[in-house]
Amino acid sequence: MALTRLSRRMFLNTTATGAALGFAPRALRAQPATFKLGVIHPVTGPLAEPGQACRLGAQMAADAINAAGGIKSLGGMKLELLLGDTQTKPDLGRLEAERVVNQGARMLMGSFDSGSTAAMVSVAQQKRVPFLVDIAAADPITANVAKAVKDGQQKVQYVYRNFPTGSSFGRLAVRYFNEIFAAARVAPRRVVLMYTNDLFGQNQSKGFIAAHKAASPSWEIVEVIPWSEPPSDLSTEVSRAKAAKPDVIAPITRPASAQLLLPEIRKQRVEVMGIVGPGSPGLYEAGQLAALKDDLEYVMDNVPSWPNFKKARTQAVAEEYRKRSGGKTFDTNSVASYDGMLTIADVLERAGREALADPDGPEAIVEAMKKTNVKDILAVAAGPVVFNEIGDNPNASTAMIQILGQKPVVVWPRDAAVQKFVFPRPKV
Amino acid sequence: MAVGLTLIFGVMRVVNFAHGDMMVWGMYVTFLLASRAGVDPYVAFGAAAAALFVLGLVVQRGLVDRVLDAPHEMQILLMLGVALILENTALLAFGPEPTRARSTLAAATIWLGPVFVDVARLIAFGVALALTAALWLFLFRTELGRLMRATADNTFGALVIGTDVRRVYAVAFGVGAACVGAAGALVAPILPWEPATGLSLSVASFNIVIIGGMGSLLGAFVGGLLVSVAESLGAVFLQPSLKELASFSLLILILLFRPAGLFGNGRDG
Repeated sequence: MALTRLSRRMFLNTTATGAALGFAPRALRAQPATFKLGVIHPVTGPLAEPGQACRLGAQMAADAINAAGGIKSLGGMKLELLLGDTQTKPDLGRLEAERVVNQGARMLMGSFDSGSTAAMVSVAQQKRVPFLVDIAAADPITANVAKAVKDGQQKVQYVYRNFPTGSSFGRLAVRYFNEIFAAARVAPRRVVLMYTNDLFGQNQSKGFIAAHKAASPSWEIVEVIPWSEPPSDLSTEVSRAKAAKPDVIAPITRPASAQLLLPEIRKQRVEVMGIVGPGSPGLYEAGQLAALKDDLEYVMDNVPSWPNFKKARTQAVAEEYRKRSGGKTFDTNSVASYDGMLTIADVLERAGREALADPDGPEAIVEAMKKTNVKDILAVAAGPVVFNEIGDNPNASTAMIQILGQKPVVVWPRDAAVQKFVFPRPKV
Repeated sequence: MAVGLTLIFGVMRVVNFAHGDMMVWGMYVTFLLASRAGVDPYVAFGAAAAALFVLGLVVQRGLVDRVLDAPHEMQILLMLGVALILENTALLAFGPEPTRARSTLAAATIWLGPVFVDVARLIAFGVALALTAALWLFLFRTELGRLMRATADNTFGALVIGTDVRRVYAVAFGVGAACVGAAGALVAPILPWEPATGLSLSVASFNIVIIGGMGSLLGAFVGGLLVSVAESLGAVFLQPSLKELASFSLLILILLFRPAGLFGNGRDG
């Protein structure tokens, strides 16, 4: 082995550099090349279509941020997405979150369905990883953490959400139902609520029923019919709904159950004024439109974060999305994740180098998160992205869309509508 | 669906854990023929059965044949591996979205006063009945069928009288797979599916076959009817989301009081 003789100059250089690094702020010592984010969605399994839309939306936003120079307050640091797949299995939310955190993720975003999102929350809280929920409606996801912090069981809340909660979904759904019925000058009396019996479906249905009770409108929820997801047959459930003589069917579906439910409603000739969803996937996505065709025509759904196509930027992103997705529409799922990534970038810009500090980086990110006020987002919203004491964005809003001419278009609220709704729907 | 599973078990004593995934491939074959060549799913069911017969033959000759004398856990692991390969190949080939084969017939209903009959389900029921009858005739009225039953009853005896047992096994596995391929084609217009659907279909098949009796054709048929009726009644008299409670309660009762199943002979029960 050849030995290198250590010169005096080399010795001085080495020790001086070592000493300088030793006294440098800890954040400067090991500055990573990229800021790693765990982005977890259900990209396989029954929720694959919306999950893939979320992933692409997040990736496009990260690409746009990186192309514009990265996070400037971090010296132009680029965002690196560590992608995760829950496979539409709630328990995998936790495993995937642990995996990406072990790979160096400093923040988390995800994960579309409430079950896997709830599973990710425990990882975020235990490992002190700030987590922005881009999509997941179940109220307890943030409310439980806020309560634990308030009661002193946990010190810091790391979980925030830029998405309407189940209860706000319900309130807005009942409001839109009333306004649309009034604008159409009809008075439906009997509404049958049908829902997928998972965490999301239960939460959405509870929110809708509670909002209905609070508003006490002129229409009644005469029957509530849950089913196990994914169902193999919904004929008995639809027969039960039909027996209740509904004026309106309000379904809370998943993509697979929507593909069973809507043809079954047609087959059993359930004559209703309309099928109006209080808020769920499965009723507007490109794949669903291709599979269900006419069965989806005139169906309405109360959707969150619909892209605001009145903005030129949204139109440009939608066009890029169409190209990158092979012709799919920039919709509620892709825009929510896109806006989620924009929000994270804004938080990191404000947190600055403190975000990388060891060990207090996560708390610095949380402090910046609490002061969020992002106005430049692509979705329809009641105001800028801000977070309340529970960690939710009270300005996250919904819009009622309707499938008209095989395309989902916003029909309510009136100021966001791009087309007039059709209600009652034409008789077959 | 369950008839194929019970046939394979009855002849070879191999539990086909890839059964549901084979059915999913039957559905995809039907979907391809319907979407690319415009063939109605009810016409395509012969092609789906033929394709799955070949797949079954290949799986049996290439894989199952090598572990027939191995412990049961080896067979189970092998079939779970086949299931994983089939599921993930479908995922690569077709993507993860729910799929559905469209058929004009499947959209039709027959109304008898206030009662309606779903034509798609009526066809599925009728063809299942006919296929079960055909399979019975094959097993009881043909030379190959007799050899299959002889092999199932006493493999050593069948060998002694000069039966090509390996050929019998291969054909039995192929026929079992063809049955599930045909079943896939028949439900493709009714049930939306995606690559991961195989597991739930396998579980449903096992439920039916255990209730009816492992290895019994009649048991598989009656078991299927019982499970369907139990779930429908469960949806009416219990919560619809609890309807599986009815069929799995039935399974528990059978396991408690008649472990060999309704028509099982108890040899493996």
